[in-house]
Amino acid sequence: MYLELKHIHKSFGGRPVVQDLSLGLDRGGLLCILGSSGCGKTTTLNMIGGFLSPDAGQILLDGEDITASPPEGRPVSTVFQSYSLFPHMTVLENVIYGLKFRGVKRGPAREKGRRYLEMVGLAEYANARVYEISGGQQQRVALARALIVEPKLCLLDEPFSNLDAALRFRMREELKGLQRELGMTMVFVTHDQEEALHLADRVAIMDQGFLVQEGSPLELYRCPASSFVADFLNLDQLVWGEDGTLMKIIKKGEDF
Amino acid sequence: MERLSNNYWKGASKDAPFRSAGLLADKALLTVLLGSICVFVLWPMVCIALRSFRDSGGGFTLDQYRGVWHTYGRSLGNSLFVGALTAFFCTLLSVAVALVLTTSRGWARALLMGVLLITMVSPPFVSSLAYIQLYGRRGWITYRLLGLRWSPYNQWGVIWMQSVSFVPLNAMFLQGILSKLDTGSIRAARDLGASPACILRDVVLPLIRPGILVSLLLSFIRSMADFGTPTIIGGRFNTIASDIYLKLIGYSDLEMSAAMNMFLMAPSIAAFFLYRRLMRQCNAITAARQDRQAALDLPLSRCGGVGILAILVSGLFFLMMALQYACIFLTGFLKVSQGAYAFTLQYWEQLMKYNLTSLWRSVGYALTVSLAGTLFAMLFAYYMERRQVAGRSFFDCLVTLPYMLPGTCFGIGYILAFNAPPLRLTGTAVIVMANMLFKQLPTATKLCSAALTQIPVSQELAVRDLGGGHWSGLRDVILPGLRPAFLSCFVYNFSSSMTTAGAVIFLIDPGRQLAVFRLFDAVYQGEYAIASLIATCIIAIVLAVEALAYLITMKAGSRHVS
Amino acid sequence: MKRIFALLLCLMMAFSTLAGCSGGDNSTPDTPTPPATTPDTPDTGTQEPAPEAPSTPALSGKMKVVATSESYIDLFDKFTEATGVEVELLSMSSGEVLSKLRAEGGVPSADLWFGGGIDAFMSAKDDGLLEQVQFDAMGQLTPGFIDPDGYWFSKGITIVGFLVNNSLVKELNLEVPQSWSDLLDGQYEGEIIMSNPAVSGTNYAVVNALLQKLGEEEGWAFFEGLDKNISYYSRRGSDPKNKVTSDEFAVGITYLDRTIDALLADYDVTIVYPTDGIPWVPEGVAVFKNAENADAAKYFVEWLFSDDGNLRQLAEIDQKDGIKIIKPSLEGVELGYDTSILMDEDLSRFGAEREAVLARFEELMGDKAVAE
Repeated sequence: MYLELKHIHKSFGGRPVVQDLSLGLDRGGLLCILGSSGCGKTTTLNMIGGFLSPDAGQILLDGEDITASPPEGRPVSTVFQSYSLFPHMTVLENVIYGLKFRGVKRGPAREKGRRYLEMVGLAEYANARVYEISGGQQQRVALARALIVEPKLCLLDEPFSNLDAALRFRMREELKGLQRELGMTMVFVTHDQEEALHLADRVAIMDQGFLVQEGSPLELYRCPASSFVADFLNLDQLVWGEDGTLMKIIKKGEDF
Repeated sequence: MERLSNNYWKGASKDAPFRSAGLLADKALLTVLLGSICVFVLWPMVCIALRSFRDSGGGFTLDQYRGVWHTYGRSLGNSLFVGALTAFFCTLLSVAVALVLTTSRGWARALLMGVLLITMVSPPFVSSLAYIQLYGRRGWITYRLLGLRWSPYNQWGVIWMQSVSFVPLNAMFLQGILSKLDTGSIRAARDLGASPACILRDVVLPLIRPGILVSLLLSFIRSMADFGTPTIIGGRFNTIASDIYLKLIGYSDLEMSAAMNMFLMAPSIAAFFLYRRLMRQCNAITAARQDRQAALDLPLSRCGGVGILAILVSGLFFLMMALQYACIFLTGFLKVSQGAYAFTLQYWEQLMKYNLTSLWRSVGYALTVSLAGTLFAMLFAYYMERRQVAGRSFFDCLVTLPYMLPGTCFGIGYILAFNAPPLRLTGTAVIVMANMLFKQLPTATKLCSAALTQIPVSQELAVRDLGGGHWSGLRDVILPGLRPAFLSCFVYNFSSSMTTAGAVIFLIDPGRQLAVFRLFDAVYQGEYAIASLIATCIIAIVLAVEALAYLITMKAGSRHVS
Repeated sequence: MKRIFALLLCLMMAFSTLAGCSGGDNSTPDTPTPPATTPDTPDTGTQEPAPEAPSTPALSGKMKVVATSESYIDLFDKFTEATGVEVELLSMSSGEVLSKLRAEGGVPSADLWFGGGIDAFMSAKDDGLLEQVQFDAMGQLTPGFIDPDGYWFSKGITIVGFLVNNSLVKELNLEVPQSWSDLLDGQYEGEIIMSNPAVSGTNYAVVNALLQKLGEEEGWAFFEGLDKNISYYSRRGSDPKNKVTSDEFAVGITYLDRTIDALLADYDVTIVYPTDGIPWVPEGVAVFKNAENADAAKYFVEWLFSDDGNLRQLAEIDQKDGIKIIKPSLEGVELGYDTSILMDEDLSRFGAEREAVLARFEELMGDKAVAE
């Protein structure tokens, strides 16, 4: 296992938020943590990112125990839900900011920055201010900023929740492409089961701090471990083929 | 919106007459606000300007202006020099203090906040006296402790004294910006591997840059208009403000000092327009925050050179303030005899024998001015920020003018403006209070405007959407939403009114003595102990009233919620 | 909602108050005395000589006084007792009074001006800001100390000397200066403090008197020499005294009176009466033109100078006895010094030369501008 969470516990003011969570992910995989709000998924992500430290348990990345290292000390980078771009810097400056802490000289850094901007399709916006570009473009800047430092693990906290449906769909595809291209290991937090289904190699469903079920999307859809999972995944909307392949998703109540 | 509500509710609503009454009240209120600004700010300014063109026979002349550049060009240069350096040092100190304040926790924070609150109340003269006592040629610190032979009576003394005394307000302002800073940016920087030192340098300081610039400019303008510090410790060093003061009290040359005022205002007005642009930028940065549940988590001690510097500098500042105020408090209870100090209650008893009515009159005036001024500032800020009032930027600039003038000149302007019917107010309490109110309005308005940006426009739109007019929006959304600003505005107004001297010195008439002038009298007679005791009383009263105002607003706030 | 309305109502009321009470907040007893229609006040007029021991005229209202200090309140209390006129006192320096008077454009907000260097009074008279006062006892006052036309009077004189800080003298190996010419000695460099003569009537007297004594040329040479030793010219009249007692400067050029004598008890200082003459300046008393309660103010002047008891009390409050020079017939007050030590001064030159002298002095000070 490349990323391993072992028996993680976390409570806030005596209220347990994450309980005995164990998870694993192979190198180059994309894990979706799926759950409704308050299930503990963002807390889990923050513990992997180092913004919170677990009350008990261990986090291992590439064989190394990173449980106690601070965010700036771990080879993990995050794409925040609100992007958290630096408003006083240009797009390029935002993207290459992290390189400065990895001993990259300014010239090569800008070079690399342009490459990454090209990769996310924003080459011509290098010198724009971040408040001058659209939400989707900001999203890509945040992604490029997180990927450019070549982290061992990239975390994404509901990154598409502020985008409209069409854009969300496109970004999803782009993210998947980038992830494959770079062989990046990613953990993705969302409450949108459709997003999870499309993106993830592995899906972990959480409810009230507990891991309910973990597996590949198809495994989950075929054999939901509980009625909660079945409910959450809206399995009654699925039509299965005779050979066990998913044939279509009926969108109930959304087709107006 | 009126169209919508009128059509929809036409005739049917029993609210209709109520709403048209609201419309009327809205218009009346706006007229009263703008009208009184014209009368109490514009008209005195016009009077000063006119006076600067008057020759001794009452005719028109440009002589004053011909003389001004020749004679006072050097002083203006001095003013600009002092203003620039004061702005720099004061902002440096303020940023350091604000950083320490924002990042500290628990009792340390409470202590620092307490010191800052006390030092916000700065009775005139006694601070300078304490400064001389501590850092003078025979100062306790400079001479007796460090054995230094230096003279504070020069430009450096002025710069230092001004820098330190402007810090509390600036630090509070910067602290407000810092605590609203986007914690997301800081998290992102940490996530990308930035150390606290880098975060401070790359994220925090650039993000508060507009705030820093505002602090630079406000200190600059304030320093330009400050006549008290150079007068008391400037020695041979003259600034344009202290020259104006000298022209007034030494030569009683109103025409010349009016011309010099015009001269002084030019750089200040330029600085003001810069300030306005920056302030807008500043609001844009602090307003667009989504993610600010967490406080600024930045251990300064791990922030490298800048962090250590901030801690050291603000440590020095708090130490100096503690010494200065301890010096003020102690002077009232120490008797000097042949170089020996002894504790005494003699001055306290002497003070108690004094007629204390001036103190209560001060409190009464200050309370009236604070209540009226705060309400005025709130309403004015609302009309300026939220409504398309004709001549908006004109009024906004107008209201700021008193900030740029030395207080004495604004006072003289009032006498010139209100010494003849139909606006004969000289010799009344009204002229004194109006002067205080409008002198403090620039800052009060800024406080309220800042708070207004925290109230989403959508809330007001919701009121109108539901059929209420502007009036209802003001009543049901804006005023309740400004409750926190009410407190800070009230506190600012009250402490300024209690300690103001320059602006009202020409307006007070016999029988309306204020505590500050008792203090002035005592300083003049060399009764430093009495002066210190009066200052102590003023500080104690201001703090007590602030505490009371705090309790009342908090209580009202909780009742409002439940 | 009701609360907000109440607030707004308050605001409206505040504004209506603004508009309404422009007559002042002393609403009840203070309807001003009709100025002209008081024929039954026999001796406050400017014309008629009053009979001896005048009966107190019918006065009313309040008398507003600007004075150099609040300590005169006892004297004014006595006046209130005698006449029923309440007195309100405010301390203001004469420069402030003059500026305020000029700004008020002929409608003064006070009735009586009490104390301050006579040059300001002369200046105010020239501007037509003062009211004439005539009374019987005027004849007993030394000519030259009152305006021949009765626009201003002197309530005493201020004399000027040095206050020397003994410990600093010892520490810096200085000699205690004994005369004005001593002050030119290079040993005092940066250790002398004096007030700007534009602000301090006392120090203006020093400048004008020495110019009169030494003559134009020699006089200015003296001040140029003095300027080299002066640390700075304070912008407040009391600073030289205060700075010397707080060990900041070795020598202060200051007024001398019994309050200065009293400093000896608590501070290690020496008082020096310069051997080559003491500059002096009368302190003025005057009634403002167009004053609301001019009758009371005029009567006060008469009341003060006609009764030796009042003058004695004044000397007591002032802690100086110069009033004896102004009214030589005064009993019970003895001048603590011989008048021969006072410089010969032509007071009329005080007012006439003020502008020119100050302008030249400003130039002189400005030459050195900022030391260090």
